[in-house]
Amino acid sequence: MKRNNIIYIALSTIVALAITACTPNAPSEESCYINESQLNELVKADNGTVYDLNDFVDKFMTEPGDFDNYRTRSYYSNKVDGKDTTIFLFSIDTIPSAGPGIYIRGRVITDDYGGNFYKSLVIQQMKDGQQQTLRISVDMGSASGLYQKGQEILIRCNGLAIGRYANQPQLCVPSYNNNVYAHSANAKIGWAPGRIPSPRFKEATKLIGQPDKSKVVYEEMTMNELNTKYTSKFKMDTWADIKAIRQFDGHLVRITKVNFTGSFDDQGTLTNCEFYVPATPSEPAKGDPEVDGSNAYVFAPSTGNVGYPQSRYVRGGSPAKLLLVSASEYAKYAHFYLPPKKYVGYIQGVLGYYLDQPPTTKYPLSDKKWSVTPSNLAEDILPDCQNATDASNRWVPQEWVNGEPQDQTIYP
Amino acid sequence: MRKTLLTLLVGSLAIFASAQTTLKGKLIDESTSQPIAGATVTLANQNVTTTTNAVGEFTLFYLDAMDEEVVIEAEGYNGTIELIQLNADQVNEMDPVKMSVDIAKESKDEVLINISDEDLNDDEGKSQAQASAASASTDVFNATTSFAWSTARYRNRGYDQTEETYYIMGLPFNTGERGTFSFSSMGGLNDASRYKETVLPMEATSFTFGGIGQSTNYLMDASRFAQGWKVSAAGTNRNYKAAVRASYASGPLKNGWSFIGQLAFRFSPYTTQKGIIGEGINYYSLGYFFSADKTWDNGNHLTLVTFGAPTMRGQSGAVTQEVYDLTGTNNYNPYWGYQDGHIRNSRIVKAFDPTVIAAFDLNINEFNKMKFAAGGHYSFYSNSAINFYNAPDPRPDYYRNLPSFLWDGQIVNGNSEQLYGADGKHYPYGNFIGSDMNGVNLGQGFTGLDGKVVGPSVDAKSYNNLVEKWQSRDDKATQIDWDALYAANYANNKNGNDMARYFVERRHNDIYEAMASINWTNTKFDHLKMTLAVEGKHSTGVHYKSMDDLLGANQWIDIDPFADRDIKDLATNISMSQEEMEKVKLNNLANPKAVVLGGDKFGYDYRVNVETAKIWYQNEWNFNEIDFYYALQLTYSGIQRSTNMLNGRAWYLATLNEDAADLYLGSKSDAIMAVKNNDYSGLGYSLGKRHDFVDPAFKLGFTYKINGRNRIKFNALAETKAPLARNAYISQRVHDRAIDVIYTHDAAKNLKDFYAASEKIVSGDLTYEFNFPIVRGRITAFYSRFWDGSELNGYYDDETRTFVNQAISGINKRHCGIEAAAAFKLGTYFTLTPALSVGDYRYTSNSYAVTSAENGMELGKNPVTNAPIYEVRDSVLMKGVRVASGPQVNASLKLSFFHPKMWFADVTISYYDHSFLNVAPSRRMKGLYTGERADGTIVNGGYNQIYLNNGYSVDGRAKDENGELIVDANGKYELQYPYNMLDQQEKLTATEIWNRFMIDFSVGKLIYLKNRQSISINLSVSNIGHNLHFKTGGYQQARLPRATRQQIPDGENSTITANAWKFPAKYYYAWGPNLYCTITYKF
Repeated sequence: MKRNNIIYIALSTIVALAITACTPNAPSEESCYINESQLNELVKADNGTVYDLNDFVDKFMTEPGDFDNYRTRSYYSNKVDGKDTTIFLFSIDTIPSAGPGIYIRGRVITDDYGGNFYKSLVIQQMKDGQQQTLRISVDMGSASGLYQKGQEILIRCNGLAIGRYANQPQLCVPSYNNNVYAHSANAKIGWAPGRIPSPRFKEATKLIGQPDKSKVVYEEMTMNELNTKYTSKFKMDTWADIKAIRQFDGHLVRITKVNFTGSFDDQGTLTNCEFYVPATPSEPAKGDPEVDGSNAYVFAPSTGNVGYPQSRYVRGGSPAKLLLVSASEYAKYAHFYLPPKKYVGYIQGVLGYYLDQPPTTKYPLSDKKWSVTPSNLAEDILPDCQNATDASNRWVPQEWVNGEPQDQTIYP
Repeated sequence: MRKTLLTLLVGSLAIFASAQTTLKGKLIDESTSQPIAGATVTLANQNVTTTTNAVGEFTLFYLDAMDEEVVIEAEGYNGTIELIQLNADQVNEMDPVKMSVDIAKESKDEVLINISDEDLNDDEGKSQAQASAASASTDVFNATTSFAWSTARYRNRGYDQTEETYYIMGLPFNTGERGTFSFSSMGGLNDASRYKETVLPMEATSFTFGGIGQSTNYLMDASRFAQGWKVSAAGTNRNYKAAVRASYASGPLKNGWSFIGQLAFRFSPYTTQKGIIGEGINYYSLGYFFSADKTWDNGNHLTLVTFGAPTMRGQSGAVTQEVYDLTGTNNYNPYWGYQDGHIRNSRIVKAFDPTVIAAFDLNINEFNKMKFAAGGHYSFYSNSAINFYNAPDPRPDYYRNLPSFLWDGQIVNGNSEQLYGADGKHYPYGNFIGSDMNGVNLGQGFTGLDGKVVGPSVDAKSYNNLVEKWQSRDDKATQIDWDALYAANYANNKNGNDMARYFVERRHNDIYEAMASINWTNTKFDHLKMTLAVEGKHSTGVHYKSMDDLLGANQWIDIDPFADRDIKDLATNISMSQEEMEKVKLNNLANPKAVVLGGDKFGYDYRVNVETAKIWYQNEWNFNEIDFYYALQLTYSGIQRSTNMLNGRAWYLATLNEDAADLYLGSKSDAIMAVKNNDYSGLGYSLGKRHDFVDPAFKLGFTYKINGRNRIKFNALAETKAPLARNAYISQRVHDRAIDVIYTHDAAKNLKDFYAASEKIVSGDLTYEFNFPIVRGRITAFYSRFWDGSELNGYYDDETRTFVNQAISGINKRHCGIEAAAAFKLGTYFTLTPALSVGDYRYTSNSYAVTSAENGMELGKNPVTNAPIYEVRDSVLMKGVRVASGPQVNASLKLSFFHPKMWFADVTISYYDHSFLNVAPSRRMKGLYTGERADGTIVNGGYNQIYLNNGYSVDGRAKDENGELIVDANGKYELQYPYNMLDQQEKLTATEIWNRFMIDFSVGKLIYLKNRQSISINLSVSNIGHNLHFKTGGYQQARLPRATRQQIPDGENSTITANAWKFPAKYYYAWGPNLYCTITYKF
């Protein structure tokens, strides 16, 4: 073989192989999600059904669930419809793995960028002008990175589970809590709804179109309307009530004309509440940031990494009603002072209640059992927070700096 | 006239030569009788070296009359040693020396370079021990072990590669910043690395003072190469799959010039097959090598060299044992995934190290020679990685994506390998707890062979679903889901968010260096050779990130995600407003809203300059029975960091420590107020403090020649070494703060403290060498001590939920052992070579760690004032821990076959033992076990229980005879010794003895054609025994889960929670059978 031929072949091979070294093309935007017709084809090919959220819960969530080793403090006996019966606050029902596809769809209405939702999503579906919602427990930090607020998703639920955690229905997998180190461990161990492993959830989920925040629906109401529709309506003494209250969990609401109470003396006692800068035990409890400085309440003081959420009251309506606003100590606004009482505005977020043990007082549910969880300060609290007597005087978030409250112009 | 002069010159030379003791000889190929050019001929006793000319001849003048060993090394041939007697004042002529071809060596060298290249560039920073790529071919031990033991990542004497010294044409090429040699610079260029002089540890040589490891000087003169073309093709199943090479050497031309050029291309496309070596890896490398030299009649010699090998290749990463077991392969690679249906690797290395060298040898006279060399190289090196922000971790093997995470506290111990369910099936990853702590029978438990019942926290269906995903290698779950990353960014764009959720960044670590050396040797005095040399080197490490791929996102804003997330925590500890705190997360204060688009520089942009100057002097005496040498060296080093991006965390820390603001901000210490006042002008460049070091070194050696066939050698060396620049700063990416020992050193006023920051090393070895007709070899005992070493680690700290840097200093080690090899000639065709190395490499004391958060978070509270502490200090319990540097016990038996008709083959069976896991200092902090660090800060969530191998734990704090806890002079708890905490240092050696063996095999044939053409074929197969249980390395993950101190309160029979194993060790396994086949055609 001639030398030139050898060199020619070698160089040609090098060039050809170098060309194949390129990075693959980016996937098109359209290939990253499904549209309605693709959705229909997919479900049809699976011989599947897309359930409305409420129908889905009704069909697959039972009393007490199909895992009989439920949490020992997970049930509550009472007379329902005039009979002795048991209300299970924690339950699990497995959804068949085999058979036709069992689908649900909904729009994500939470985001975790603000740090106030952790490994959970809430999806919303509008049906006849009414919202249906469902919590989803998924073991995925910063899940909003993949499932953004406003993103509609389709979930194939086969092999997953539907359960109640503190009476809140949620899509989940069964999880056995054997945390022997927990406070009151004996009462907490047992099966309960757990987080769906991330790879499992990603496998089950498809994105329907691109996110559209404008299609997220906030149900706007006053405190009185809230009280009428939710918080005082249910006596929990009929199965109809019990079913209804579970369906209202997770609704996205905007409660107008409320103010943070910021102190103990309005109604009752705030539990698990600490000062931003801890006060001495003998120091009297106060709460107005403008008066009490470092002793003022913030949204969520540290729990020392224990991680339980903190709650703060807002008040509104006539006669005055109270609603808890829930914040995680990991929320980015957790260390900001609550808006002083004089600022009135709306608070919006996911409505819910937390009932993890039989109440000490007989039902009906007290209004204090309900809470609303905002995703973040900027969207859910700030926009409408203004001085009740001077609408031009808007609330500016403040934090404690060097002995003085400081106005914040950048954050959030 | 010209003829007359030439006749006179040659005549006078002949007369002159005849009056001196002279040696002449010729080297020829054993099979073809062709002359061998470019071979190195060394008289071992007189330390005189020359090379053969184009017709294979050599001549050495001005010799001492004595018994001599003529050590002959020629590339492509088996090295040989001839014994002769030099008679005084005459020309001693040797019979032609016949050398046998070693065709296998070329491909073995290529494999070795390949291993070293890849190991060095392992970005985990915890790579398996690196192989030594250079070896002395005439030393039986090195010639045998360097290739055979490379599979097990054997390291000479257990030393780090920084202890080996690499030169090219007399110029120092260990990089100033990292201290290592970049083999990737000449990857695939087997001609560039063909000729080298390699010196055993501490022995005398004229090209370097050396160190405690071996020294290598690559010789790239064109005149060393035989005239002609050479083309070769190679196929392999390693990370690259094929290579083609072509070279042409002119041989010496009439005008005295010689030229050689080589091109080499190595490649592997992506393959879709899973489980193969090089899974998910692509590889493209095009190397070039050009050399020209001219030799003048007076012996002066000029060499010009340039080479480089632009390379782009994917990487693979170590994973936990669970992943290996689930995927059923040692070749699983977590770094790749599918994008739009095509494979894409997330870790793509791009490397190119163009090098230029000029060297001039000046023959001043017969006694004085000088070598001048100057050169430089610019090493472009970068690696890509996925970064993410407010989005789920994209790594498929992220611990939360693995079945083991679902154990979540249920598992009884970390080694439940033998579990069988009620159905009789094997469940290697655990199954279900049988009953809870209240005794409730869950009805789903499975019992292990040890009678314990363990399992995950979820139901069987969910658990098995995840297991099946891994076992079936589900593309979405077990590889990177690139399409999902794009989808997240597309959705993010739609929602109007201005920062990418995922992107691929490229981390650059370029190094450019310029160096020069002058080397003078004098042999005027009988029996004495003097060498004086000076070297200077400027080295700059350039570090920055660039945006490789936004993955469909519109842009990225240049902030630190960790700082952004922890703003709240940062804010609570200092009197800064939120507005000021917002500045902390900025990576570049001068550009607060820096928008980063594709190709833009971001994150950090700093340089570390290292200046080195050395002067060394050596005297070598050679006599009939005794040789002796000593050498002295003085080294100056200067380290200085500068940055083009003043970082928000540096500013934050400077604000906390205004009196020492320059420690963080360098020359821009006045930036504290400027930034507070929102004045960002002039913040572009900051020069840090310069740290100077002066390090002396001394070595000596002694050889006693019992007779011509037996000798005893002794070498010793003592030196101090300045810290490597890579270890000199506690958080190099963020600020200028040097490690504590350098800080102390800078303040030193007296000589005693002057090199306090330097590592101190003392080493010695004793060798017996023998050289008989049927057997030659050596046995060596060595002992080395290291004091005050330093290193830098970084990891994610669960307790504070942030990335921390850990600067370890006061590292003391001891390396001792023996190494031996002998080559026995068994008749005409066979040679049997046993080799053995038994070492003991371990840390001799505890060391000291300074830990700080990269984002500036507080890590503790002052126990007295309750003020926040940003750097916590503690002892690291390293005493007795073994150094992770490959197997410490190695043995092999090699049988070589050579037939005069140019067939050859060899088979090597090797045994390896005492290989240890690289421990994470973060898991050995004393405070973890006592609840209190050395600086008095309190540790939350530590292990005050010591885990025993039987699955139980005990209180690790030492108690006296009355059962009272013992405290030291500072009132701190003492710990029981030895430190069995968590687990004893894991031995990587396979459990079954037969899995500690590896078998390698090679076979080849050389065919001579007409007109001096030839074809050679070589096949070498490593691990032909298909041993898939051989761990070549591994490391403990530094990350520690929170609250691991929790335990079941059951007295001494307590178990600690499974949290302790949440982040298990990661391992490297030896490849299965891998081959390298080469066909070379010379014409």
